[in-house]
Amino acid sequence: MKLRINGEVHEVEDDPSGMLLWAIRDELGMTGTKFGCGAGICGACTVHVNGKAQRSCVTPLVTVEDAEIRTIEGLAPDEITLHPVQKAFIDHQTPQCGWCMSGQIMHAAAFLEENPTPSDDEIVAAMGNNYCRCGCYVRIKSAVTQAAEEMANAASVPSKVSA
Amino acid sequence: MSDQIQNKEIENELENSPPIDSVESDEIKKKRRWRPTRRGFLIGAGATGAALALGIPLGKPYVHLYMAEMIDSGEGGTFGASTSEPNLWFEVADDSRIQLFIPQVEMGQGVHTSITQSAADELDVDWDVIEVVQAGTDNGPFETITGGSTSVSGTFIPLRTAAATLKHLFLIEAARMLDQPMDALQISGRGVALVSDAATRVDFAELAANESMWEVPEDEIALKDPSEFRYIGKPVKRVDIPAKVTGQAVYGYDARLPGMLYGAIARPPTLDAKMVDAQKLDAESMPGVKAIIIDIEDGFVGVAATSRAKARAAIAAMQIDWDEGRLWQQADVDAMVVPEGDGGTDIQRLGNVEQALEDSNTIFSADYRTPFAVHTPLEPQAALADLSGDKLHVWITTQDAGGTRTTLAEALGLEKENITVSPTYVGGGFGRKLGTPGAIAAARLSREAGVPVHIGWDRPEAMRYGYFRPPTHSKLQAALDPSGRIAAWDHKQGSGNVAYDFLPKFLSAVMGSDLGAWRGARINYEVPDNRTTAWRKTLPARTGWWRALGLLANTFAVESFVDELAHAAAADPLQFRLDHMPDNEWGQRMGAVLQAAADKADWGGPLPAGHARGIACNTDVGTVVAQVAEISLDEQSGKITVHKITCAMECGRTINPDGAAAQVEGSVMWGVGSTLIEQMQIKDGQVDLDNFNTYPLLTMKEAPDVETILLEGDGTPRGVGEPPMGPVAAAIGNALFTLTGTRVRDLPMTPERVLDALA
Repeated sequence: MKLRINGEVHEVEDDPSGMLLWAIRDELGMTGTKFGCGAGICGACTVHVNGKAQRSCVTPLVTVEDAEIRTIEGLAPDEITLHPVQKAFIDHQTPQCGWCMSGQIMHAAAFLEENPTPSDDEIVAAMGNNYCRCGCYVRIKSAVTQAAEEMANAASVPSKVSA
Repeated sequence: MSDQIQNKEIENELENSPPIDSVESDEIKKKRRWRPTRRGFLIGAGATGAALALGIPLGKPYVHLYMAEMIDSGEGGTFGASTSEPNLWFEVADDSRIQLFIPQVEMGQGVHTSITQSAADELDVDWDVIEVVQAGTDNGPFETITGGSTSVSGTFIPLRTAAATLKHLFLIEAARMLDQPMDALQISGRGVALVSDAATRVDFAELAANESMWEVPEDEIALKDPSEFRYIGKPVKRVDIPAKVTGQAVYGYDARLPGMLYGAIARPPTLDAKMVDAQKLDAESMPGVKAIIIDIEDGFVGVAATSRAKARAAIAAMQIDWDEGRLWQQADVDAMVVPEGDGGTDIQRLGNVEQALEDSNTIFSADYRTPFAVHTPLEPQAALADLSGDKLHVWITTQDAGGTRTTLAEALGLEKENITVSPTYVGGGFGRKLGTPGAIAAARLSREAGVPVHIGWDRPEAMRYGYFRPPTHSKLQAALDPSGRIAAWDHKQGSGNVAYDFLPKFLSAVMGSDLGAWRGARINYEVPDNRTTAWRKTLPARTGWWRALGLLANTFAVESFVDELAHAAAADPLQFRLDHMPDNEWGQRMGAVLQAAADKADWGGPLPAGHARGIACNTDVGTVVAQVAEISLDEQSGKITVHKITCAMECGRTINPDGAAAQVEGSVMWGVGSTLIEQMQIKDGQVDLDNFNTYPLLTMKEAPDVETILLEGDGTPRGVGEPPMGPVAAAIGNALFTLTGTRVRDLPMTPERVLDALA
């Protein structure tokens, strides 16, 4: 079967019980998307499916055959420009071990597309289902807050960062 | 150990080592070559030909790697076994950048950055001149671990000495090549230039080309005065973060080689289970299955297949019979941890505590308990093994590359020299990745299948089949004198093993107590008659290293009970602690952090209705920490909300203040999770959890704000990755008492427990 990931079409094994995460990681070798629990609880495997954050470890392949999938490798608009969420995570020195961070960043990016001007409580509610065992919550929150501001500014003044 | 003694030992070892040329081969020829200097350095040629290398063998080595590149190139690595190789070293690359090979693994603690700070300062180079490279076991003798908050403190002086020496050597050689006096020269960009004319210069690579003629000076090379530091003590951006926000960082679970298979192994149904029989049935003919191992004696059944799911399906399809053994229950464990009976070892004793308690009119007593807990780094155990002939290369998420190699050598019957362990980025360690048995299973399956095999545990495996934070039980008794000071203090502490199970048998046989388990149990307050006694218990579920070891449990007991005594004496809990500080350096340092945390948190000041503060402090690995927790309580549900933790810490010298603050924040989250949520129990012979539905972690919804105050101390850096976990539970519990007049003396303080206590 074919998967469309980060704008490119890839061939993967047509496994009726297969989950998107393992096709991305093990078959296609795109290991930026992480495995955490296999039960859709921790959020480490979060990718975008048609622009929405989705947990790839519980996403059957058959449900995404015609979908537009985006992973952390395809989040930045180009090779030299980071997505505002990625930039904010660097600015706030957010990651520690980093294993959950692809999922955190992908979740935040999708959330901010839906809600470009979130309140503090809305950020906590949105990010409150992604585990970070290192406990980087203070900096995840401040980074998402910064990214929201930057994306809102970019939206009012068109620039390539908003891509 | 002093550097001098250490260097002496190294020189002795060098004398006993064969000359490196005697093991020459095409492979070895390409390796780094070292010759010792009189001051204990190793100098020689780097791996890229003419490049200079200067290194130091540390008494306590540590590690990490460049794994993506090696995997991409399919390079098997080289196999160094000689003790005449350093564990930490510099190499000058052809482009005159200086590579710093370090043995410590980066697991989020920022060690790659803080070590680079020290090196850049003494080399006097701009930040981007240094490139950090993770070293593996092919690069040196890795007999120690990344853990215990010692990575920075243990290397601070030797690393800086090596860097300063390298700079000195550059200057000597540049003086010769440019025919200028040394004091007219300075480090400039990627080379050395005239102070008066930057155009008159020579690059590091050109200097290094003459390495073979260099002599390391015998005189002491002066280190920088702290006032001249450019990087040490500054909030430097971490070198590992860009790769972690773009998905490019390679961890053990991400390790890949062409043609690799995926492994799965059979898991016992109970803690005591022994494998009795195993039949393949149809597993061999299942799709994608390439190799099956059945080893009843070892209790090992493994499958290598073309996908993880297919390997697991084959395991599930086999008939495996187990003798379940005793079906342990939590009550059995609870009874074992009680600190009484034979085997108690005094770890602190002053005066006569029995007499002092007997003489007292009122004896205060309390029991504090903490449960089993699970590390659950979000990256589960994972290893990629490539076994070919008698050579094995393993890429692995580990805190202990050297130990992994030793374990592999024993299990596979291979020479250590033929095994390379390349540690990757570690997706959370917290002590759990000091034991990495997944490497053995992957290597066995690679041998059977004839191709590389990757094993990545699923979450239930990671939850159940490791070792755990041990349950603890502290029994405390104390008496106050008529002036309200603590007159007597008796702490009986029981805990499952922490360090004991991991030490050589001869050592554990003579060790009455477990120094890991009682970390934080001794009191540092001034009490004329005091005693702390520790009982070490081997439990049905294996227990071991966990972030900060016993610190959280012991500080919870000690600092909560001190708080009880303060309230009994009708004293302010802050003042009560300050009044009991000994008149020594420790007392002054602890007093300073207590006061700093209290001031910043506005101790005694107004609060929103329904909020309360609690205070607690501790000392660990030479660092002192004090915290104030601000909490509220939903009296209907019993749910505690921790609004803020204010933390003051003094760790001698802070290398990277922003990194230290991040470690405080992370430690606080660990502490809050342990205080409010985390617990594991034994039920019917097995642990009662398998995923995050049964063992939820703290999320942003429960996460407090954290404010960190870093105090400067005596200039010697000490650990920061664990000490700030210590006071969290006590500070929260002390706040709960202030708010409600009720204490919860068992962790976690779940809503049910809080409601029970209030009832």
